[in-house]
Amino acid sequence: MANANTVLDIRQISVCFDEFQALTDINTKIRRNTIHFFIGPNGAGKTTLLDIICGKTKPTTGKVIFFPQGKNGILLTGLKEYQIVRYGVGRKFQVPSVFVNLTVEENMILSLKSNKGIFSSIFNKPSTEEHHEIRRVLEKVDLIDKLNFRAGALAHGEKQWLEIGMQLVQKPELIMLDEPAAGMGKPETFKTGEILKEIKKECTIIVIEHDMEFVKQVADTVTVLHEGKMLKEGHIDDILNDEVVQSVYLGRSKKND
Amino acid sequence: MKKHGENISFAVIVIILALVPLLLQFGAISGGSTVIFIGKCMAYAIVAIGIDLIWGYTGILSLGHGLYFALGAYGMAMYLKLVSTNGQITDFMHIGGLKELPFIWTLFDNLPMTLLFMILIPAVVAFIIGYFIFKNRVKGVYFSIISQALTWAFYSVFIALSPYTNGNVGITEIKSLFGSVKGDANRANMFMLFYVSLIVLILVYVVAKFLVSRKFGKILVAIRDGENRTYFSGYKVSMYKTFVYVLSAIIAAIAGAIFVNFNGSITPSEMTIEASIMMVIWVAVGGRGTIIGAVIGAFVINLCEYNLSSGNLVEIWQYIIGSVFCLTILFFKGGLVGLVREQIPALIAKFKSNNTKNKITKKPTVTKLNTKKGGLNHG
Repeated sequence: MANANTVLDIRQISVCFDEFQALTDINTKIRRNTIHFFIGPNGAGKTTLLDIICGKTKPTTGKVIFFPQGKNGILLTGLKEYQIVRYGVGRKFQVPSVFVNLTVEENMILSLKSNKGIFSSIFNKPSTEEHHEIRRVLEKVDLIDKLNFRAGALAHGEKQWLEIGMQLVQKPELIMLDEPAAGMGKPETFKTGEILKEIKKECTIIVIEHDMEFVKQVADTVTVLHEGKMLKEGHIDDILNDEVVQSVYLGRSKKND
Repeated sequence: MKKHGENISFAVIVIILALVPLLLQFGAISGGSTVIFIGKCMAYAIVAIGIDLIWGYTGILSLGHGLYFALGAYGMAMYLKLVSTNGQITDFMHIGGLKELPFIWTLFDNLPMTLLFMILIPAVVAFIIGYFIFKNRVKGVYFSIISQALTWAFYSVFIALSPYTNGNVGITEIKSLFGSVKGDANRANMFMLFYVSLIVLILVYVVAKFLVSRKFGKILVAIRDGENRTYFSGYKVSMYKTFVYVLSAIIAAIAGAIFVNFNGSITPSEMTIEASIMMVIWVAVGGRGTIIGAVIGAFVINLCEYNLSSGNLVEIWQYIIGSVFCLTILFFKGGLVGLVREQIPALIAKFKSNNTKNKITKKPTVTKLNTKKGGLNHG
């Protein structure tokens, strides 16, 4: 049974695309207010797992249960993407996907939790509190000076932070980030890490990442996936010292270095 | 100033349009037919605004809006025809073997009902089509093809049901809502119709501008630029798409109703694929994604056609319009509005910076460094 600390319970998830077994019997619990990493070589099934949590892909068997703070569990498997988002599970994609023709502020306004219906989007304006909230979040991700910039004109790193900000302003309980530091330089990656540590005070974060420095910097728990199966789960130091993990993943990446 | 450029341009267009009947009255324009033509252009501008909402803002290329334009036009034409026959059965119904007025015509036997059904029928058709297409996430070129095919199907139905629609010939010999508009004797009627249409154009423009300035408009742009992302922001994209599709269909129907008042007849040729594609060309040339662009495009292309397509150019006009469309898509994505708003200022800025570069020799190295840095960030 899930205790009060669990925010997401992934139970016996398997998924099969035609003949290909993408994920086999994944079982894990994500603890509240932690940063949980999924790592593994390409094709390990990390992105597929996120797709299942956010409703983009349906699992062949198994279920995902989400426990909002102080409420009963919600079965996410079977719900539509926008319903899952409304329950408070956000997702940031691998490629930065901000709305390039809108300003930073407009991007944030679209991400606000309220006013998702057609008529309220025509007749309601964001409230003063919501404007304050947008400013507070933009200060956190260090984009407050670029409020009126077109999002397409931002640098790569800034787009990623804007997208994290867009997740945050929805006041999610859980956000999922697919390679948030991809394509960033060292200083930008470090700054992303510090932003995440700040955010985890408000919500739980699931991250997919390849950059081991980054994982060491921020991870609370790490799950290693390999060929669709769970290989090991635990603290980053235990993971790094594990021989099996080293042979399938870290060993290979060392060779590449 | 820059912020209100669109509204100022529209105000200028409205003032010019308001002066057109006066110019005729004082003899500056010869012939009422020009004024009637400009009246039709207002109808075209209205349908262009609708297409801009669905294509320019939401990124859904509909090649079938001629259907909704024609549905509105037929609705109005049926009422006007019944006015001229005093509610009696028409000649073509006699020939088709009908003994009494068909049910569909009885919906249009008075003005309030006509105004209601003229909008309701296209709205329901658009809702049914839009709901199922967008719910199943059909998009891009597939949607365009389906919209064409449906228009073609309706066209065939209208031809086939000739006892009800008079087939190929369409509904002809009708007067406007305010009586006949042809000839100098009926000028007062024509001016009345002209100004009423102008007011409708202004209303449609204001509503469209209002919608795109609100969060609603930003969501449309978001759907255009990143549909999946919009789903993950928690918006039910298919409902938004259906809503805009129905709205643009209603706008097209209103335009059709105005058109038929000026034109005095409606034929199925208005719902052909060619007619629908022409509407898209107006928006592309004027500048998609700006409401004013749609209005300007509709007027510019149609006025050019009116003035050029008679005489020597009549045969090559189709080639000209085709090349203009291709050039716009290839080089001027923002159309005429984009040209004025972005490309010309960019050219001037380039010209200016070239001048300063020549004067200060140190400056170029600085710019080079900046571009390098920008490139790295993007990589």
